[in-house]
Amino acid sequence: MQVFINLIARAFFMSTPLILGALGEVIAERTGMMVTAVEGIFLIGAWGGFIGAFLSGNMFVGFLAAMVCGLLVAFLYGVTTIYMNQHQIVMGTAIAILITGFCTFFYRVIFGVQTVPLTVDPLPVIEIPLLSKIPFIGEILFSQNIITYLTYILVPIIFYVIYKTSLGLSMRSCGENPEAADAAGINVRRTRFLAVAVAGCMGGVAGAYYSLCNVGMYNAEIIGGRGWIAFGICFLGNWNPVGALIFGIIFGISDALGTYVRALGNASIPSELFSALPYILVIVLTVCRKQFNVPAKLGSNYVKED
Amino acid sequence: MEKGKVRDFLLWTLLAIVVGLAVSFAFLPLLGVNSFESMKIMLVETFSDRFTMGNILIKTTPLILTSLAFAFTYKASLFNIGAQGQFYVGCICAVAVTLALQTKVPGIVVLLCAFGASILGGGLTGLLIGFLKARFNANEFLVSMMSTYVVQYVMQLLLRTVLQEEKGEYLKTDYIDASAWLPKIIPGTSVSLGIVVSLAAAVFIWFLLYHTTLGYRIRVTGLNGDAAFMSGINPKKMCMVAFFISGAVAGLAGFTEINGMQHMLLTDFESDIGSYGIGIAIMANAHPIGAIFASLLFGMLQVGGTALSRSTDAPASVIDVMLGFVMLFVLMSFFVRHKMEVRRMKQQKLKGEEA
Amino acid sequence: MSEEVIQLKHITKRFAKVLANDDVSLTIHKGEVVALLGENGAGKSTIMKILYGLYRATSGEILVDGQERKINNPKEAMNLGISMIQQHFSLVPAHTVTENIILGNCKGRIDIKAKEKEIEELARQYGFEVPAGEYIRNLTVGTQQKVEILKALYLNARVLIMDEPTAVLTPQEIDTVMEFVRNYVARGNSVVFITHKMKEVMQVSDTIVVMRNGRICGKVKREETNEKELAHMMIGHDLEELQTPGGTDFSGRKKRLVVENLTIQPKNQAALLDNVSFEVHEGEILGIAGVSENGQQELCEALYGAADITSGKILLDGEDITKTNVKERIQMGIGYTASDRYRYGMVEDMSLAENMLLKSSYLKRWSRRGIINWKKLRSYTDEQIRDYSIKAPDNGVTAGSLSGGNQQKLVVAREVDMGQKMIIFDQPTRGLDLGAINYVHKTILSEREKGKSVILVSTELSEIFALSDRIAVMYKGRIMGIYKNGELTTEKIGLLMAGYQPNEEAVV
Repeated sequence: MQVFINLIARAFFMSTPLILGALGEVIAERTGMMVTAVEGIFLIGAWGGFIGAFLSGNMFVGFLAAMVCGLLVAFLYGVTTIYMNQHQIVMGTAIAILITGFCTFFYRVIFGVQTVPLTVDPLPVIEIPLLSKIPFIGEILFSQNIITYLTYILVPIIFYVIYKTSLGLSMRSCGENPEAADAAGINVRRTRFLAVAVAGCMGGVAGAYYSLCNVGMYNAEIIGGRGWIAFGICFLGNWNPVGALIFGIIFGISDALGTYVRALGNASIPSELFSALPYILVIVLTVCRKQFNVPAKLGSNYVKED
Repeated sequence: MEKGKVRDFLLWTLLAIVVGLAVSFAFLPLLGVNSFESMKIMLVETFSDRFTMGNILIKTTPLILTSLAFAFTYKASLFNIGAQGQFYVGCICAVAVTLALQTKVPGIVVLLCAFGASILGGGLTGLLIGFLKARFNANEFLVSMMSTYVVQYVMQLLLRTVLQEEKGEYLKTDYIDASAWLPKIIPGTSVSLGIVVSLAAAVFIWFLLYHTTLGYRIRVTGLNGDAAFMSGINPKKMCMVAFFISGAVAGLAGFTEINGMQHMLLTDFESDIGSYGIGIAIMANAHPIGAIFASLLFGMLQVGGTALSRSTDAPASVIDVMLGFVMLFVLMSFFVRHKMEVRRMKQQKLKGEEA
Repeated sequence: MSEEVIQLKHITKRFAKVLANDDVSLTIHKGEVVALLGENGAGKSTIMKILYGLYRATSGEILVDGQERKINNPKEAMNLGISMIQQHFSLVPAHTVTENIILGNCKGRIDIKAKEKEIEELARQYGFEVPAGEYIRNLTVGTQQKVEILKALYLNARVLIMDEPTAVLTPQEIDTVMEFVRNYVARGNSVVFITHKMKEVMQVSDTIVVMRNGRICGKVKREETNEKELAHMMIGHDLEELQTPGGTDFSGRKKRLVVENLTIQPKNQAALLDNVSFEVHEGEILGIAGVSENGQQELCEALYGAADITSGKILLDGEDITKTNVKERIQMGIGYTASDRYRYGMVEDMSLAENMLLKSSYLKRWSRRGIINWKKLRSYTDEQIRDYSIKAPDNGVTAGSLSGGNQQKLVVAREVDMGQKMIIFDQPTRGLDLGAINYVHKTILSEREKGKSVILVSTELSEIFALSDRIAVMYKGRIMGIYKNGELTTEKIGLLMAGYQPNEEAVV
């Protein structure tokens, strides 16, 4: 039983960055922008977060640094796609490659060659008084770190903004029919750019979660495609914050399961397949589900002749 | 394309490459390495002897193939980001077939079987993605991206179990028998027939795209799927064909690397050539012949980068920074070129009116 | 005359490829309907988009209420009381009527119920019936038009620009719009009515401004002019008269195409094609009239093998071809110019020669064993460029670099050649200038002389009357009747297009 509870608690723990990244992606994709730089944003978030926290000794500074790093990459992505009209997928792939090299290079610049990996203490768990004492649920839901709590609070807030406010209406219109939004006096490019910037901030924090909350160290393989999984979660969740939450938890479970099986160290179990589970899941779910609610102009740049 | 435009394109791309490299070199002093010194080291070391120059061709061989894989689907407006995975499948097929057949049948037969197996393995992996796209309208970008990770883990599993070396020590296969190696073609180097295979593949892809009706149909589908449908072309079929060919080309790299270069398979083998291939294809604007030259440039950078990290404090990742910046500037040059074209047209028009 | 609300002075607008407006000056008075008349590409929309802030003028100035204003975006135009209804509606299909109307004009939290009430109230003032909570994608084009109008009214616009507002409406719906316009200016507002239809201009406007090639070539009062004079101003010369077919007896000729009870009915939806039957003889032009989106495109696609047919039969020269696909029908000698040529008829980023190959990539004509004979294809393309006087530097330039008229000539050249037995023209002259229209019309008539069968779908009644031997009228996927050219008056065809049988109630 305790194993099960630990597994589920771990699942919620692991789902946090995926949900956070997917929420950012939802915000951007509702305005028509696929943030294909997401893997790069995650990575630079993990990198910047670790460096910030390690050098300052302060977790908050770490997350702030991660946010700024994510923002800068989003800025680069936004300028090149929105204002320079480059293909979103091509640009995202290019940025992912650049960031991979950049992070490794500057990690070396800052820390030189290290024989033992540098570490920071992972972000502490905050046990919420009373609530954390509830059997099962307390251990699963109310003994998590601050980022997890914030992420879960963000879900209803983002839902409200997207579907119940004028800002959300403008955002959605940019993704559905940018010409109409433009004719209605909305600055389509600016709206999209800001949405990408927000996604960058959230992606940066999500990336830092891996280096600061999960392992307390940084290496080049730390993200290993999880940015893409967050990207996939946004698709699977039908561009809806609540959908992102649900699929985020599903992937959290599969992630936790993989870690658990690997930790067992039993050679006769094909643990590799469990590790591959999240990736297989993305493929299977992409295939079996009927997608709806797709922003009509997702992935296409808005160009006005002049 | 008109002649002037080709020239424009080459000039701008070259300029972007130079700027990208310059920016990358400008970062080196941060590591206490002199930029100009390192440029010199890279140039001198790369072309110092026959063997190192041969290494350029060795590095170039798989890059041509993975960049072709991306470029080919890109022509059909599809995104195959999974060349790395298809390459691994090609590796697994090549090494498995070779280990199973070697010394039992003549070397040439082994090679032909490994060649076929790698193409088929990579191709079928690609075809699966194409099928999911055509049948279920699954997002091929996402699926191909994920497929690489899945294949990576499957390969690890195989290397830990059925394919593992007899000693059972590391996650790698046994060496394949020398009779199943691709022959060396340049004396004094390790360059194998693999480079000829990938050059031939590039020419083949070029001919297929621009001189056959099949290639024409694939391009039409990519540029305007509705018009393709209205012309009796089945866009879904084209999607699957394009993905099969793309996967097959990436799989072929498995053959050239296993039988031509490494002679065994190990984990994390050439783990970057998939993403490098994408970058190279973008640099070449997805033209198959352009991909040869872009790969060559990149092969040179890789050899130079290795030399640099051997003789200075610069890490090997400086190559990634270079590729990243070069890609970024090449993409930006597309934008600048477009802007200038528009301005030129406006001015021409103005002159026309005044005349 | 009453006070001047808007003055445009010496506006010039230059795009990369064209000079869209050249020194255009124009005044809009209070309570006035200004008709902006001109052919496609004359620069009517551009000048109004500049006033609305969607484009920025290269030079010139705009005065609102006598004061110079820089209008950088639609928001600023709206704040000045200027609103514009785009030709292609700028509505978000996935949003509701209310969401579309308040888009860009609300702050913070949206109380959707209150807003819906407000909009229903506004609609009632103008006698519009619009369901405020319905999704746009579920509304008819006529109702969508009303939503567009409400959008402007919601902003208290006093100058309303309407870009080709009647293009997709039935004659009866057009009357409603006209009534609204008169009603609206009577309250002291102004309207700019962009159109290329002379009839509407004479019906609704006070002042008529005629544009040609980006310039203003005439300003007249409605009372002081007539349609013939306007047409002359619009085109710059009189048009070549065509020999209208009619009176030919086809009873002795071979039946080329027979369509029997053709129906397309998607699951849980209204039928797109409802029991359509007709026949076309050798050397005959069958005109199909109707408001757009009444099943014409589905009919064309069904005849071309590109649609899933629910039931019915199609016979070509007596042979049942119902089950064959596009590829096979191309081989049989059927040509098709789709109404949306950019989408279905050409590949903009490919060269002219490559576009010539589009429909014949499966034929042996320009390829052997799958290898393309570029030399042969290029010289053939050059021939076609010459024969159809397509303005292009050579066969290597992209189709996208040609003007709309030349693109259509290219498509027509190819399809006329592909369609050795029958050619389907769906809106072949949409968006073309009158010279190109004339050329396409002549081509269609000459193909008829060669004995080919032609199906001509058009929403322009003048085109139908000018070219057809017989005329079929479509409404909601049904054929309302087939008549010999000459048997129908405009009034009668208008009723048929709206779903009324003459002397009967509506058939819905």
